[in-house]
Amino acid sequence: MEDYDEEMEITEKKYLRGEAADLKVHNDKKLKGQLAIREKLYSISAKASAKTEKYLGPTEGGCLEPEGFEKLYRISQSSILTEVPILSARNQYDIVLPDFGPYSLDFTASGRYMTVAGRKGHLAIVDMKDMSVIKEFQVRETVRDVVFLHNELFFAAAQKKYPYIYNRDGTELHCLKEHGAVLKLQFLRNHFLLASINIFGQLHYQDVTTGVMVGNFRTGHGRSDVMRVNPFNGVVAVGHSRGTLSMWKPTSSAPLVKMLCHQGAITALAFHSNGHLMATSGMERKIKIWDLRKFDVLHTISGHAKTMDFSQKGHLAAATGSFVQVLRDFSGSQSDSKYMTHSIAKGYQAQKVAFRPYEDVLAIGHSMGWSSILIPGSGEPNFDTWVANPYETSKQRREKEIHSLLDKLPPETIMLDPTKIGSVKPTRKKGKPSKQEREAEIEAAIEEAKSITIKKKTKGRSKPSRIAKKKQEAIKNAKRPFIEQEEHEDKLSKTKRKRVTEDTELPKSLQRFARNKKATE
Amino acid sequence: MTEKRKAREREGHTQLKKKRISSKKHNSRKGEGGKNRGPGLPNQLRKEINLLDQTEHSFNDDDDVNFDDDVYEYEEGDAIEDLKKNHQFDPVDNLEYELPGDFKDENVASDEDDEVNSDQDDLEEGNRRHARMLEDITGLPSDAFEGKKKKDIVVSEPYPESEFNPSRDILDGNGLISMDDLMDPLSRKPGFSKINKRLKELEKKGKTVHAPLPMPVQKRLERQAAYNESKKVLTQWESLIKRNREAPTIYFGEDVNLGYSTVGAIAANFEPRTDFEKNIASLLNDTNVVEAHRKDGARLLELNKITVEDVRDRNSHLAKMRSLLFRHEIKAKRIKKIKSKTYRNLQKKDRLKAVSKAVETDPEVAKELAMKQERKRAEERMTQKHKNRGKWAKRILARGIDVQDDGTRAAISEQLQQHAELTRKMNSMRDSSSSDDSSDDDGSDQISGDSDPEGALKLLNKAKEKTLEVVEGEEELPKSGVLSLPFMVRGMKKRKEAAEREATLALQEYDLSLKQLEDNNVVEGKMSVGPSGRRVFGAVQKQVKEAKNTNVEKIDHFDGNSDNDSEDGFVTKEELEDDNGKVTFSQTDINIDPDVFREVSEIGHDSVFKSFEDIAKDPGLNTTYDVAIFASNSWKKMKNLSGDNMGRKSEARQADLDPVMQNHKIMEEEGDDDSDTDDGGQMVDGILSSGPKSSYELPSQEELIRRAFAGDDVEEEFHKDRDEVLNEENPEPEKPVLLPGWGQWTHVQKKKGIPSWMLAEHEAAKKKREEALKKRKDAHLNHVIISEKLDKKAEKLHTKTLPFPFKSTDAFEQSIRMPIGPDFNPATAVGALTRPEVVKKSGVSIKPIQYEDVNPYERSEDHKRKGPKNEKRKGNGKAKGKMIKAH
Repeated sequence: MEDYDEEMEITEKKYLRGEAADLKVHNDKKLKGQLAIREKLYSISAKASAKTEKYLGPTEGGCLEPEGFEKLYRISQSSILTEVPILSARNQYDIVLPDFGPYSLDFTASGRYMTVAGRKGHLAIVDMKDMSVIKEFQVRETVRDVVFLHNELFFAAAQKKYPYIYNRDGTELHCLKEHGAVLKLQFLRNHFLLASINIFGQLHYQDVTTGVMVGNFRTGHGRSDVMRVNPFNGVVAVGHSRGTLSMWKPTSSAPLVKMLCHQGAITALAFHSNGHLMATSGMERKIKIWDLRKFDVLHTISGHAKTMDFSQKGHLAAATGSFVQVLRDFSGSQSDSKYMTHSIAKGYQAQKVAFRPYEDVLAIGHSMGWSSILIPGSGEPNFDTWVANPYETSKQRREKEIHSLLDKLPPETIMLDPTKIGSVKPTRKKGKPSKQEREAEIEAAIEEAKSITIKKKTKGRSKPSRIAKKKQEAIKNAKRPFIEQEEHEDKLSKTKRKRVTEDTELPKSLQRFARNKKATE
Repeated sequence: MTEKRKAREREGHTQLKKKRISSKKHNSRKGEGGKNRGPGLPNQLRKEINLLDQTEHSFNDDDDVNFDDDVYEYEEGDAIEDLKKNHQFDPVDNLEYELPGDFKDENVASDEDDEVNSDQDDLEEGNRRHARMLEDITGLPSDAFEGKKKKDIVVSEPYPESEFNPSRDILDGNGLISMDDLMDPLSRKPGFSKINKRLKELEKKGKTVHAPLPMPVQKRLERQAAYNESKKVLTQWESLIKRNREAPTIYFGEDVNLGYSTVGAIAANFEPRTDFEKNIASLLNDTNVVEAHRKDGARLLELNKITVEDVRDRNSHLAKMRSLLFRHEIKAKRIKKIKSKTYRNLQKKDRLKAVSKAVETDPEVAKELAMKQERKRAEERMTQKHKNRGKWAKRILARGIDVQDDGTRAAISEQLQQHAELTRKMNSMRDSSSSDDSSDDDGSDQISGDSDPEGALKLLNKAKEKTLEVVEGEEELPKSGVLSLPFMVRGMKKRKEAAEREATLALQEYDLSLKQLEDNNVVEGKMSVGPSGRRVFGAVQKQVKEAKNTNVEKIDHFDGNSDNDSEDGFVTKEELEDDNGKVTFSQTDINIDPDVFREVSEIGHDSVFKSFEDIAKDPGLNTTYDVAIFASNSWKKMKNLSGDNMGRKSEARQADLDPVMQNHKIMEEEGDDDSDTDDGGQMVDGILSSGPKSSYELPSQEELIRRAFAGDDVEEEFHKDRDEVLNEENPEPEKPVLLPGWGQWTHVQKKKGIPSWMLAEHEAAKKKREEALKKRKDAHLNHVIISEKLDKKAEKLHTKTLPFPFKSTDAFEQSIRMPIGPDFNPATAVGALTRPEVVKKSGVSIKPIQYEDVNPYERSEDHKRKGPKNEKRKGNGKAKGKMIKAH
């Protein structure tokens, strides 16, 4: 019973999202009352959430448990296969497609559908539930990356010259010429933005609902095909050849964050879904795990990765060549973190790894098709049908589409810490706006004053001369506060200057007296 | 009664006083005589004097007769100064102090008070002595005299003493009439005790009633009382109001039954109330009416029996008519919109033709027309409307027709022409119309001449004829008038010669073009372009055509052996075809589309088509082949899904790939570059090794080393970058500089240097910058640059100011830490979290608050909404609590 209570308390705390407001601090009775009511509602909500988690999400994730001194990473896929139920065993397979070169792949949010793209133009959508190919076609062009849009109906493929958007039937819907020859695509699900980076290192954000090009920035670090979106806040990170990593949002042309991660070029990048963890790998054979709250390295693991991915439960898969390793639990020491390893059959070269959501499966796209291996405990065992439903019917999908469109976030909500939305506006750091800024402000105010349409009044009262006069007056009024402020500031600065001069500019002969005076005081 | 009496008394007093004063005067007058003085006189003497006085008095005024003898007055002796003895005092003074006649005792300004007092003392002393004297003389007690003296009340009207008249003491003012006085006489009468009792009661109750308070005070008190009263009433509402104030949500109109929600429901329960409604209802529900209606309707239906075919026929007929009408309308609309002059001319011609035909065939029509014309003519002759009689025409003519612009002139001439036409006789009309015809023909010919060569031919012929006419036709020279003047004749000759020259030239041209036209028609009918453009183009086109032919062949071939690039091949072929088509059909385009050449040359890179490279000298061309790929020997060539026999050749070709190249490729693949095969032909496939661009050299050792250690100065670079960004976001303050020339002529400032306040400001700015740098989030992180730029677009996502009840941002931010949306909370809690402050049914008026007993110590949030709605909601809520979105 106690255990139960404790457990509930822990989950409740998680859902309270921080400490409750301290009512004793406030002097205002009314505020106190309001806050008390709020807090009570919060606690009710948290309790309910904890309960639903407890009772409606009962499935526990699987895991591997070592017996004695057994090393977990020595356990092979074949040995796992004997232990798992048939349904799970079905998830372990290799698909060999020798002709169309290394494959990259992507899953829908629910993990039900997968799209694969062979480098040499082979595109396909596969229903992972019954392993049936929904559509398969050849574009007869290089395809570098593929990504699902908001659901399985649409996907974008980065082809030789431009990225294209296809629907599920393989019909080409759009050719996104503005993006150019794109190396990597990412889709921001909550914002409906398609982010791409092309061979010139240009980052493009395009709204797929309206078609508007939201952002178009030069990264200024040359060609890069390492790009990942942080699922927590929608910030796009790009790894560059000089070991730097820059994070972008669609509303500013300068990177939000630029950090030096490695000595060599960054080869792979992955984000944990909670947004706190980031994994990077560099050419100097190092994989680093970063804490994004502090922008500090948590772990440095030696090894090389051409592609990486975080699972829903926080397992990190890293693949290089034909060797795949899975790491987990980055709180402990380094040796503990190695969870599983896998060598792809016949030395096929891994191109892309991706965990399948809500399943303990890791899909590896490689030079001869793709294979799927079991990583126990990697997927979230309980899915929320409101978030992602692997058993979605078409009606539900349509509903979901509408809902997600209604809930679409504007691009400005992408920021490093989205929890800050709604808080008090950060104060301007600059004490004084520059002259240009001030002029711009004045101009804007004047424009606004000019644009006001004057109401038509009774005869004689809206003569053109009067209207002109009124307009002039409005402009004058708009200007006035700025001028006054300027004067005020001038005055202030003058007095300040005076004070400064008084303090310091005593004649030399008198300065010692001043000091003496201070000393006596 | 009493008051009157009093007044009378007062009168008496004044009279007395008057009397006294007069007597004084009298006395003083007497005193002057020095005869009688004070009490020193013997009684007898005094009596005599009194008698004398009496006579005088009675002589003077008769009113005072009654009381003269009972008054004894003490005559004060005259003051010494008044006596004027021995002439001790100044006589003038005396005159001054003489009193006026109406002088009153009481109002004497008392500058000699003590003297008066002493006088009074003297008077009292005198009185006492007098009393003693009277005692001595009369032997009566002095009281009797005093009483006499006291009661100097005069009863002016003698009346008998009775109970109804005021008694003596009343007159004296000593006693008041009391109730007892009144009651005494009744004491023995019957009913006295009763009255007495009542009186006693009255006495008991009847305490003194105070005068009413002033109005404002009275009102204030009333208000106070009312306030206290209402306060008592209002305080009982306090807890209720407090509860409502603290409640997070207030519900209005919860228990209001809105009744029927549909019109049908309302109509079903409608009951006629007014007479009108009742009447209508009775009519509607009348069985007779209903029956009749039903029967009638049935009968009507019977009558309306029509066969299906009829209906169908009618319908189809109607539809036909409608469609015809519609089409006609559309046609009319279209025709109305036509703006072509030719078309209109043709129409006009047709119309005229028709009319003329009708005139020829139908005599009636001819008659009508003639009548019309006649009428018009008559009108014109009558009004002379077209003979420049109008205001406008007159004005134009007055100003001179030469000054006018072409349009006006044309209009004027048209008017004149019309006038001429209308005034001419009927039979001459036919000629003009025929001439019109010919001109129309010309115009149409001209227009149509552009379109087809035959038309052109015709046109040319016509032109030729006309010019010939002009040349050959000799104009007669005028023999009189201005034109016959010699210089005019000369000028005309000159002009004529020039015209002839032109005409011959034109003729030659016509001939030439006629010939050409004929040639063209014979040789290649479709070409009809200007000679120069065509000639140049023809050569090129030929080339291209050849190329095309060969290309198509080659492309087929190429398709056959190309494995990976088949799509490209298709594209080029199609494009080629397109472009070639364009070349052959577009006539004016002299420039050859560069695309064509590019495509052509792309194909032409195969060594077989080397000749083509000469045509396409585009330096920027790339051999954009998708590379067959891939280095690792185990990989196979990709097989096309279409399952052709292709691929054999390419495999064979790949087999002779340079081994070195292969090795290099492997290296490249493993290296970071991951270079795509499609960019810029860096990586060239073995197929293209013989091509011009395929020359690839191994990177030199130096290059390799450079590549290997490219990242060495990464950190330094980053730090430089970091400094730059920091400087940009927190700019370094500018160094204080003197304005050149300022203050330097004295050499004072130079010695002093920059003013200290400037330096101080600079220092301050520097310090500020350092502090700002320290405050940055990345201050302690050397490897990170966190941009501190404010996003203007994101500003709207923040509150500008702290919301009202909050005092600190921390508290506010803590209060909004929980998301309240349905995505993050279970359905059971979302309602409460997002419920508005006021919940109200729409269309229900809010009733004033009702009093109810509320426990003031109850917590406000415990107040649950009541009513059926609550339960319903619970039922409707999502059964499953929503999980919180992974954050």
